[in-house]
Amino acid sequence: MRKQSLLLFMLGILFTAWQAAAQERTVSGKVTASEDGSPLPGVSVTVKGTKLGTQSDASGVYKINVSGNATLIFSFIGTVSQEVPVGTRTIVDVQLVSDNKQLSEVVVVGYGTQKRTEFTGAASTVKATQIAERPVQSFSQGLTGQAAGVNITQPNGLLNNPPVIRVRGLSSLSLSSFPLVVVDGIPITTGDVSGNASTNNPLGDINPADIESIDVLKDAASAAIYGSRAAAGVLLITTKRGKAGKTKVSIDSWAGVSNAVRLPDVLNAQQYMDHKNMAIANALTLNPNAVAASQRNDKNQSFLPAYNKDGSLIDTDWYNEVYRTGFSQNHNLTVQGGTEKTNYYFSAGFSDQDGFLRANSFQRRSGRLNMDHQATNWLKLSANINFANSLNKSPNSGSYTGGAFATSGLGRIAVAQVPNLPAYNEDGTYNIENNTVGRKNNLLPAQFPNAAVLRDLDKNISETNRIIANLGAEIKLYEGLTFKTTYSWDFRNIENIRFWNPYNGDGQSAQGDAYNQQTRADNWNWINTLQYMKTFGEKHNLSLVAGSDVQKRRTTQWGAQRQGLADFFFQDFQGNFGTNLAAGNAITQVAYEAYLGSISYSFANKYFISGNYRRDGNSALSAENRWGDFGGVSAGWTISEEEFFKNLGFGNKLSSLRLKASWGKVGNGNVNNAYGSYSTFGSGLYGAAPTLAFNQAGNRDLKWETSEQTNIGLDVSFLNDRITFEANWYNKNINNLILDVPQAPSKGIPNNSILANVGSMYNKGWEFSINAVPVNKGGFTWSTNLNFSTNKNLVTALVDDNTPILTNTSGLEATSITKVGYSAGQVYGVVTRGVNPANGRRIFVTRDGKEVQYLHHGGPNAWTFLDGTQTTSPSAQQQILGGTIPTWYGGFNNTLKYKGFDLGINFTFSGGNYIYNGSKAGLRDQRVWNNSVDVLRSWKQAGDITDVPRAVYGDNVSNGSSFLISENLEKGDFLRLQTATLGYRVPSTFGKTGITSLRVYVQVNNAFLLTKYTGVDPEISTNGDTNTASGIERNSIPQGRQFTAGLNLSF
Amino acid sequence: MNILNKKIGILSLAMTISLSSCNEDFLNAVPELSLSDATVFSTPARVESQVIGLYGSIKNGAFLGGRYLIYNDIRAEEFVNRTTNSVTGYSTYQGNQDPSDTYIANFWTQGYLTINRANLFLEGLAANPNAVSATLAGNYAGEAKFLRALTYFSLVQFFAKPYALDNGASPGLPLRLKGEVTSANNNLARSTVAQIYDQILKDLNEAEASLPDNYTTPLLRTSRAHKNTAIALKTRVLLAKRDYAGVIAEANKIVSAAAPFTSPNRVAHALQPDVVSVFRAPYTSTESILSFPMADTNAPGTQNQLGYYFNAGNVEYFINTGPTGIYSNPQFTATDDRKTKLTVATTAVAASPSSTKFSGVSPFTDFVPSIRYAEVLLNLAEAEAEAGSQTRALALLQAVHHRSDAGYDFGTLDKAGLINAILTERRIELFAEGFRTNDILRRAQPINSFGAGALIQPTETRYIFGIPLAETQVNPGIGN
Repeated sequence: MRKQSLLLFMLGILFTAWQAAAQERTVSGKVTASEDGSPLPGVSVTVKGTKLGTQSDASGVYKINVSGNATLIFSFIGTVSQEVPVGTRTIVDVQLVSDNKQLSEVVVVGYGTQKRTEFTGAASTVKATQIAERPVQSFSQGLTGQAAGVNITQPNGLLNNPPVIRVRGLSSLSLSSFPLVVVDGIPITTGDVSGNASTNNPLGDINPADIESIDVLKDAASAAIYGSRAAAGVLLITTKRGKAGKTKVSIDSWAGVSNAVRLPDVLNAQQYMDHKNMAIANALTLNPNAVAASQRNDKNQSFLPAYNKDGSLIDTDWYNEVYRTGFSQNHNLTVQGGTEKTNYYFSAGFSDQDGFLRANSFQRRSGRLNMDHQATNWLKLSANINFANSLNKSPNSGSYTGGAFATSGLGRIAVAQVPNLPAYNEDGTYNIENNTVGRKNNLLPAQFPNAAVLRDLDKNISETNRIIANLGAEIKLYEGLTFKTTYSWDFRNIENIRFWNPYNGDGQSAQGDAYNQQTRADNWNWINTLQYMKTFGEKHNLSLVAGSDVQKRRTTQWGAQRQGLADFFFQDFQGNFGTNLAAGNAITQVAYEAYLGSISYSFANKYFISGNYRRDGNSALSAENRWGDFGGVSAGWTISEEEFFKNLGFGNKLSSLRLKASWGKVGNGNVNNAYGSYSTFGSGLYGAAPTLAFNQAGNRDLKWETSEQTNIGLDVSFLNDRITFEANWYNKNINNLILDVPQAPSKGIPNNSILANVGSMYNKGWEFSINAVPVNKGGFTWSTNLNFSTNKNLVTALVDDNTPILTNTSGLEATSITKVGYSAGQVYGVVTRGVNPANGRRIFVTRDGKEVQYLHHGGPNAWTFLDGTQTTSPSAQQQILGGTIPTWYGGFNNTLKYKGFDLGINFTFSGGNYIYNGSKAGLRDQRVWNNSVDVLRSWKQAGDITDVPRAVYGDNVSNGSSFLISENLEKGDFLRLQTATLGYRVPSTFGKTGITSLRVYVQVNNAFLLTKYTGVDPEISTNGDTNTASGIERNSIPQGRQFTAGLNLSF
Repeated sequence: MNILNKKIGILSLAMTISLSSCNEDFLNAVPELSLSDATVFSTPARVESQVIGLYGSIKNGAFLGGRYLIYNDIRAEEFVNRTTNSVTGYSTYQGNQDPSDTYIANFWTQGYLTINRANLFLEGLAANPNAVSATLAGNYAGEAKFLRALTYFSLVQFFAKPYALDNGASPGLPLRLKGEVTSANNNLARSTVAQIYDQILKDLNEAEASLPDNYTTPLLRTSRAHKNTAIALKTRVLLAKRDYAGVIAEANKIVSAAAPFTSPNRVAHALQPDVVSVFRAPYTSTESILSFPMADTNAPGTQNQLGYYFNAGNVEYFINTGPTGIYSNPQFTATDDRKTKLTVATTAVAASPSSTKFSGVSPFTDFVPSIRYAEVLLNLAEAEAEAGSQTRALALLQAVHHRSDAGYDFGTLDKAGLINAILTERRIELFAEGFRTNDILRRAQPINSFGAGALIQPTETRYIFGIPLAETQVNPGIGN
């Protein structure tokens, strides 16, 4: 329970005690929450027009004496107040609807909570109730569209793949732009912690059902307490705590199915053979060796039909081998309660989710115990312990960061595998040939392994055992003076298991390959603060905080790779192998140390000012520059509290008006390379002799990257807070960007880069959020939230204006450029201008606007101007094609309630960005790969007007496989019905079963998508969280659509 | 007040612990698995490890440990691509390699990484004169210069027009001879091909002067450079310059006047009776002047292994048995050991012949040959045939050929015929060892590319590799 409600509760008790006068008659009843029917204790019940009032007890029951035609007012923090005329009734039961509007609530900030009305920074609060019901692996996936200024991209449909979260745009170029995630005070690890092709989002270790709320701190003034770790914003996760009163037991369960959506249409076997043989005929006219004579028949065909036993043509739908209907279930048991001195929250969770990708699963078993105990009147203790076991399994989907071009990536194999070849032979064995699917009657070999073998026999497992615990004490030293200490420990063991079978795929060449790796991550944080709060002369409020914050994170990893199975019987690392290699060994340590102070002053709830200062140290920076001084100021003015405003006569129409502004400067301590200031030599081997080789050029001057953040905000509410509106303008100026400064490869600098502070960037934008209850009548309520954010990202300085940062996708394809004068991560490629109707060749455009056409196998005539004169490849003529960062995005969330029914409809939208649809290049590639049905409209004869060039076998240039072309650039605007939930609360007729509340619901996720984007999904990020290579789709699996049904049961 | 005192006690205790944990060391995190650049000259063992590190760098699978050989072999007429895989050299094979090809950029990058490491080492050695004995310092400097020369030579052959075309007047490579550790000096124009050759020969001459005569074990003798290694490489470089007199002069330092040809000086290099033994463990015969060692723990890496490309590993490329390939050449008879013992008619993977010089199974730890005595003999033979003794040339040719095909009769050969027979012999003897394309380019002949299905003329852009985009983008001064 929040501090404020506690306070209210206590005030209520006092109030009740004071109220003792006898009344004419007694009205009683029960107050429950409309969401889950749970009893609401501590609800203030007053008689309108009087000072009479009471509070509901622990089981939500109240009793009050009224006289005459009284009207009762029920009010409770976080809910919409209700006025109920008593009439002649003696029993008045009331259901309070939770209030989505945020102005009246509290904001969880670094060192406590603050009333929103006093808060001068920028923050959004997301109630986690809805997230817990969604078929997701981590709460982070459920934040889409929930908060202004927070943009979430789920990279693809691989289970527990970490989403890309951006708070107010891109916070850095080389350092992490992922916000700091703090669970009950502990900054925890983010990013993919798997050591193999499964993904393992450490945020998946937190059971979403345990989360009470998520506060997103967006500006430097609010995030100040987290200082250097908070440059990308903060997600503050507050878990549930017990409430004083009767023990409450809840069971929350859901189960559902998921399927892949928007898979591209590919050629069937007959279409494939016809198309490819035509392409071979075309190629042979240009190059007699385009396909070796031994790889084609006397009709110059290489792709020939094979038949099933029953004589039918073998026509394999590889989607069936790769995708399925995945079944998931999730159960959560909660026991909570407490006395005035002690409260507890205990939960046990079990989630078992199967992805639509075959053999992809996520399982989490978790337990949490949160306790608070008021030991003495001056000592309050709190403890949280969370244990989780997360088990991630997946075949290689090619959908993790860096995996796009994995030969065994099922995302690509599903579309590109040859369709006239079967997965199985007639005798039921796998159809394999060396390292690919068996060619049957084809004369050219296939290129990809058999998906069925990879799916069945390869293993990628990442299993986390994790304990997150903290122990805190709050000591009241003196009236208004509190010392608070919190020690937090986040300890994680991850076992990464990878086994590649010896038959087909990545392990074939090595005759079986097993790689196991163990990660031990020990992360502790100790925060001490001394806080002084004092009210002078009733109207002056002063708060002072001083403190220290130290954190250390040490990660050790060790592992081994074993190759050459002694016997194919073995399917585990523990089997017998011929070769044993060290693999996956690393030690990393990062330490942070900070001292902080802040001061806040407010006058008469009208004027608010505050200032904070921090001195931050970070071990990842050079010894001379590792300490930095940061700070911020903020101010607020509640105009509606002014007398002149009250006299303007708006009454309840304009119920509150508030202006606020903040400025702060923080350092960004999220340096990816813990040792970037050191020049180092790595130890290796030459045969068996030990070697030393220069492996990192360090920078002795490496210093803090800083972020100056300005926020100006306006909060308005209308009609007695029934409509609230919040607008914020923000400006994040990032300076001294730590960049991997590109070095000319001929300099021979390891990795061709050196970390240095050279660059600036800003993010500017607006955030709007409207919360309203348009209808609240006759038991029908409609509450809605619309949030809309804009973001303009602009890089203003790098090494110099002409040295851009070029970023590859999966180390292979040059896709992205970050250049001064543009937003980060622009798609960079060669402009193309359709297909020449005269000869079917792709037309490329050079930087000076000349049109050049390509003829595969054209030899010296491969590249010609349209008049036929020879020229050279335009591959170096790349131009900036389009920005990948959405410039606008938001959510439209609605809850409709009538009687026992509730309907939630949440839309998300985003746009203004481009996506490089690299998968399309693969789908039109004229090698042995299967193609999209698009190729059926390839150019055939002079005069054909089409967007697909003449098919020439082996052509990997015309459609963009060889280098990126603008043909494959598409707009990324979309509107998605993210979730639609229909619930029904069974009326409380449970008799003596002990059941207090039961709700059932059905839900669909990703119900529909409106977009012109032709790839699998406009919400895609093949490069995961990479700052400078966003907006790329390359060979990833699609997103899923889930249907679930669930129930919430309380005792 | 008691309570207050107690509280203050707890507070001060907490504060004390908090502050004492935060001394200066707290923020000190140093790499635990890499060595600081400040310590690498601190012991003689580390200095030697650095020298060996230069070999480790040049033998990287992306460079001389694999890809260098592969690109040389697949560009011409000897091989046919089987898998159309774009990351295993397919565009090079088809003659439409592009400056945007990442795999070619990796090749360039690994080469220059080796050069920078050599430059840094030479500077460090000069700056730490007491790190090792003067003799060792000389030896080590010689090794670094030898490796720098070998790297420049390997790069200049791919990325510049051949010397033979215009006596080295074409743009060559950025010539980097200083260690780079900072962000400065990105821009550097290309020196001419001739300037690169001058530097290569300068390095090799200096290396020859300071390298040791020999090593204590056959493994060291094969895997590290000695005087004869530098001399052997000079015969290759001078041959590419068409400096036939130079080739003869250098080769005579390590080739006896008449058969049986062996090295009269220092290491007694000689052809082994059975050619197959050169490619089999322990790989350290006197015929192998320089080979790069491999081990389970130091393998060539994924898709860099010769046996993966050319043997049953994955047969990325099988042997071209058509009329243009060496396999069907009359000089390569059916009874030649190099056909009977170093090729197979079919593999489990392909119905066509494959080379078995390198093993076809994981972990592909065959040593990768870089300089063999057979090559030196053929270099000398070619130079003698061009500008010296035809008799000695024929004797050298026969020495190489008859080892594997004793009965073969070359008949009577005129000068052109003799040169042609020597060049043909190189295709047979050095098959799959990374010589084919350079042997074409250094004589400024068109490449008969099987993949392109055409002759690629020296005038065409695709005759050589373009400077990788990765370089031109950050070093605009390099020109095109």
